[in-house]
Amino acid sequence: MANILIVDDSSTMRKIISRSLRQAGLTVDEIFEAGDGIEGLSVIASGKTIHLILSDINMPNMDGLEFIKQVRANGSTVPIVMITTEGGEEIIKEAMQSGASDSIKKPFTPEQLQEKLGTLL
Amino acid sequence: MSPNTSIAGSCTFTEDQLATYVIGATREVFSTMVMMDPADDYPLKESVNRFKCSITGMVGFAGTYSGVISIHCPIALALKITSNMLGVECDEVNEDLNDAIGEIANMLGGNVKQVLSKGGLDVKLSIPTVIAGEDYTVNSLSDSDCVVIPFNVGDNKFIVGLTLKKED
Repeated sequence: MANILIVDDSSTMRKIISRSLRQAGLTVDEIFEAGDGIEGLSVIASGKTIHLILSDINMPNMDGLEFIKQVRANGSTVPIVMITTEGGEEIIKEAMQSGASDSIKKPFTPEQLQEKLGTLL
Repeated sequence: MSPNTSIAGSCTFTEDQLATYVIGATREVFSTMVMMDPADDYPLKESVNRFKCSITGMVGFAGTYSGVISIHCPIALALKITSNMLGVECDEVNEDLNDAIGEIANMLGGNVKQVLSKGGLDVKLSIPTVIAGEDYTVNSLSDSDCVVIPFNVGDNKFIVGLTLKKED
């Protein structure tokens, strides 16, 4: 069973992702939520065991690209998958170079989540 | 807002091309995330800038292109949209409603940005803005061109608008 951190400024999207993870039949234990990169770093710093991070890119205060860089700078190797409306190849390339493992474009289906995340969980 | 047939003059896209992109993006977002299949009623027969008992979600573009994509929706339909997205009944104007409509605008913006941007770095998306009220107007104060698409979902209607200007 995996613990997952969802970082997205939309509470609606966090709920949709949570529901979709369970609909996709993925082995999810605890789901932690954060509204931006700063909150995401706080959750990680609190010492909770996290097996996978799902993060938006376009967020206030600290965006997803900076969040990934900070997570990696802190030495974490936990897989990070971007779930974002930002589907441009340059921005995805930058995310991957910063340490993201993969990306999923919004809107998405539970089947697409299963396909992308099944191998990471 | 009103439809503007001269949009091709300031963009590298025709109005019909932009309408096609907006219709495609809206259908994809609604069918995937809202479990609704809206039918477009393009072109708009009558200009609309005044909204009653409605909610408007907007996301701005900046960079190679500047502009705004917006969704204008009656509150009654917005409640159904929010309920479908969250999977629980939403029957009042609250933060969930604002967030859901803002996120739809965000997904529409991201989809259209893919068409406008070369790779994603030359056009930036804003954080969504949402307004709601019993009687309000939305006007574009710039000389940007716009395309406005009406949609029908059962007996309900909503509008998606895109104002766009190619920067020098």
